[in-house]
Amino acid sequence: MSDENTTAGGQPIEDTLIEAREAQRQQLATDGRWVRLIDHFKREWQIYAMLLPTIIWFLVFLYKPMYGLQIAFKDYSIFRGVAGSPWIGWEHFETLFSNDQFIRAVRNTITISFYNLLFGFPAPIILALMFNEVMHATYKRTAQTIVYLPHFISSVIIAGIVITAFSPTAGIINTFVSWLGFDPIYFLTQPQWFRPIFVGTGIWQEAGFGSIVFLAAIAGVNPSLYESAVVDGANRWQMMWKITIPSILPTILIMLIIRIGNVMEVSFELVILLYQPSTYETADVVNTWVYRQGLQSGQYDLAAAAGLFNAVVAFVLVMAANTLSRRYSRTSLW
Amino acid sequence: MSGVNLSGIVKAYGALQVVHGIDLTVAEKEFVVLVGPSGCGKSTTLRMIAGLEEITAGDLTIYGRRMNRVAPKDRDVAMVFQNYALYPHLNVADNMAFGLRIRKMPKDEIKTTIDDVAEILGLTPYLDRRPADLSGGQRQRVAMGRAIVRHPKVFLFDEPLSNLDAKLRTQMRAEIKRLHNRLGVTSVYVTHDQVEAMTLADRIVVMNDGRIEQVGTPMELFNNPANTFVAGFLGSPPMNQMKGRLTETGAQVGDAEIKINGSVAGHAGRDVVVGIRPEHVTLTDEGNSSALPINLDLVEPLGSEALLHARHGDDQLVFKADTNGDISHLSGVTSVHVPSHLVKLFDAETGRALNLGA
Repeated sequence: MSDENTTAGGQPIEDTLIEAREAQRQQLATDGRWVRLIDHFKREWQIYAMLLPTIIWFLVFLYKPMYGLQIAFKDYSIFRGVAGSPWIGWEHFETLFSNDQFIRAVRNTITISFYNLLFGFPAPIILALMFNEVMHATYKRTAQTIVYLPHFISSVIIAGIVITAFSPTAGIINTFVSWLGFDPIYFLTQPQWFRPIFVGTGIWQEAGFGSIVFLAAIAGVNPSLYESAVVDGANRWQMMWKITIPSILPTILIMLIIRIGNVMEVSFELVILLYQPSTYETADVVNTWVYRQGLQSGQYDLAAAAGLFNAVVAFVLVMAANTLSRRYSRTSLW
Repeated sequence: MSGVNLSGIVKAYGALQVVHGIDLTVAEKEFVVLVGPSGCGKSTTLRMIAGLEEITAGDLTIYGRRMNRVAPKDRDVAMVFQNYALYPHLNVADNMAFGLRIRKMPKDEIKTTIDDVAEILGLTPYLDRRPADLSGGQRQRVAMGRAIVRHPKVFLFDEPLSNLDAKLRTQMRAEIKRLHNRLGVTSVYVTHDQVEAMTLADRIVVMNDGRIEQVGTPMELFNNPANTFVAGFLGSPPMNQMKGRLTETGAQVGDAEIKINGSVAGHAGRDVVVGIRPEHVTLTDEGNSSALPINLDLVEPLGSEALLHARHGDDQLVFKADTNGDISHLSGVTSVHVPSHLVKLFDAETGRALNLGA
């Protein structure tokens, strides 16, 4: 039997009261939060309405398909559907990593991405720095328009231009090679030429457009920093190295983190358009392999496993890059 | 030898002329303040001295050397900018060392110089910090430190205190003055704040619309403004200006006559502007023949003093009065007594000061 200072359960009344008050306080706080949240939505609904299309886009095109990712762990059959297909664990991943073509595709993806990072990433920065030094306004505008243009051209046309330019019979490159007294080179059928051509094409297509973000960052640099440097005796070269580049470094790092997050996403369309079986050795990347296995051979589950592997690698890379950047430069995406 | 000499300096952007032939000599070790409203050409003039703006016409000499075509780095000037212009990615020491490194000064000399200047400016504990980790006043000191380490012949200040709050501005003003007294470097300082101009300057240059209105010591300009613009610009609040007409003994302003020292008798009937400094009046609640009747609109207490906003006819006037901690007696003010020797007269047409033999 409980005494007068304890509850029926034997807990001291004082403790029970404290717990009850705490529960009530938390309930009130929660209610308060909800009230504040509802008030906030009522007040700012226009902003949330503007956000809605983006949220819907994310849900429909990025989150809903995640449901289908489970087929990477299933023996998927289109007749049984996603839910009806039996679980088979890591089998697809074991198949992937015992497949030489997939391993080659991973290696090619990483190699091409590395070259893209090495040559393609600095290209728009250098271009922006060069544009920044051009004083003649008309010349600057014209040059900018010319280098932005390839971005707006379809990859199919870009690939057509590249194929024509490197054609062994009528291509401008081989014409030049012939002028130098050499035999024409079958660039697009030789594996050793694929990566330079692919990376070069990417730079030609995207460096100009990519420079816009760096030009915007340069435009944001306080002009008195340059004036102060001029009075201190710095020349343009010194100003570029000591003011412009350090000032746009946070932008460079953010863009680098984003770029690293896309390391496994080598421009699929351009590879498909430029490669051929004779260049698979250096050109076949994970996405093209997934395309061939998944869509052309109907192995959706295996393709999903490869896609999931891609996503996990990209996630790990972007997290690592973000953490390193935050630690060493105080700049990070989040 | 003059420190800085501007002779017929003109600045034009295409057909638009913004500085119209300025003549000014800044003596060696002198602290000259260019003051004027926004757009008067004071910053443009300073930037021409620095070499950041090309000189359209005229001659600029610094310590006797013609500088029109000389690059900024070779003019031996250092400039402190309005927004400090500190490199955000460099710490205080590196910011101060920037100009010295560009000039390839030996490392040990750079260190000694920076340590010395940091000591002067009280920046020694902050040498490893970046600008973002400093307060506004500390950033301003770093900006000055960066100028001082160069040991230039001329300091140029472009509204260096305008980004600071009022309290810090007062503090930094005193620091700049002390620093100038200690270093004795020829300085040209631009501001739109007339209090800064009055407190800092050996001489003030009042500019308006690309022209110099008056040059003189702060008290010369305060006591004897050359025209209505200078009278209205210097002083806080500025000089009250009322349209009037000279009589045999003074100036008729509305229905009141203000007595004036000097020989005005021969000028009776001449239209003038009568200038009265807000602090030069004695407030009274008894009208008499020598007092200016006013209608009191508003009393603004400022602590030890108060501003009285009043009207005389169509003229809006402001007067300043000591409160001794009590403003209750000010509500009954009906007129102000203006000492005749402190009344200023300006030509009504040209705005120029009249000296009628006082």
